[in-house]
Amino acid sequence: MITSLTDQDWQVRLAIYHFFVEHERPPSVGEMATALDIDLESVRRVYHRLHRGHAILLEPGTDDVRMANPLSAVPTPYRVQINGRWLFANCAWDSLGIPAMLASDARIEATIDGGAPVRYAIEGDKLQAGDRFVVHFPVPFHDWYDDLVHT
Amino acid sequence: MVLLRSEADVDDWCRSHQEPRGEVLPLAHVWQLAQAWYGDRMNPDFRGRSIDSAHAIFREVGLDSNFWLG
Repeated sequence: MITSLTDQDWQVRLAIYHFFVEHERPPSVGEMATALDIDLESVRRVYHRLHRGHAILLEPGTDDVRMANPLSAVPTPYRVQINGRWLFANCAWDSLGIPAMLASDARIEATIDGGAPVRYAIEGDKLQAGDRFVVHFPVPFHDWYDDLVHT
Repeated sequence: MVLLRSEADVDDWCRSHQEPRGEVLPLAHVWQLAQAWYGDRMNPDFRGRSIDSAHAIFREVGLDSNFWLG
């Protein structure tokens, strides 16, 4: 999982996360280049190194960020309201990963197999879930990075 | 990782999606795991997760089966 990423790579990764949380979407290569005052090609190479290092996931054949775990750039059944913003999580675990990452209260709306939304929340570091829910992890840990979208 | 209402619903979900059954955790346990896994994700010193550190987190929250550590 950890490859030979440079300090600058990790700084770009962190900037991607901050932008993603602030704007409810990931930054393009151009937006990151402008924000960090780094040339476009260098930022593009960083994006692809971060992708190869599993630090972010790009859409195949593009420079577009699909995932910066626990954040999803595409709509999912897991929508998290946090600090006045709405963010999509990649999965049920990641729906709790967002409040864990931001150390903030959150309200989560999720759908189960396309049904009516269910809600749970983090309040003061505690899970508030009116109903009893479970999470199914279909893939063993050692296979998680074979296909992150499926995982 | 999919949210469901019960263990029985997991079996139905696996049948209908033709997926093998993996591990099932109560949502409260997943909150513990999320805090341990994602708590440092926006720390400027975060440098990724090695397999050993991932295993340590799983053990920390009581996940010690082959599914997590294998």
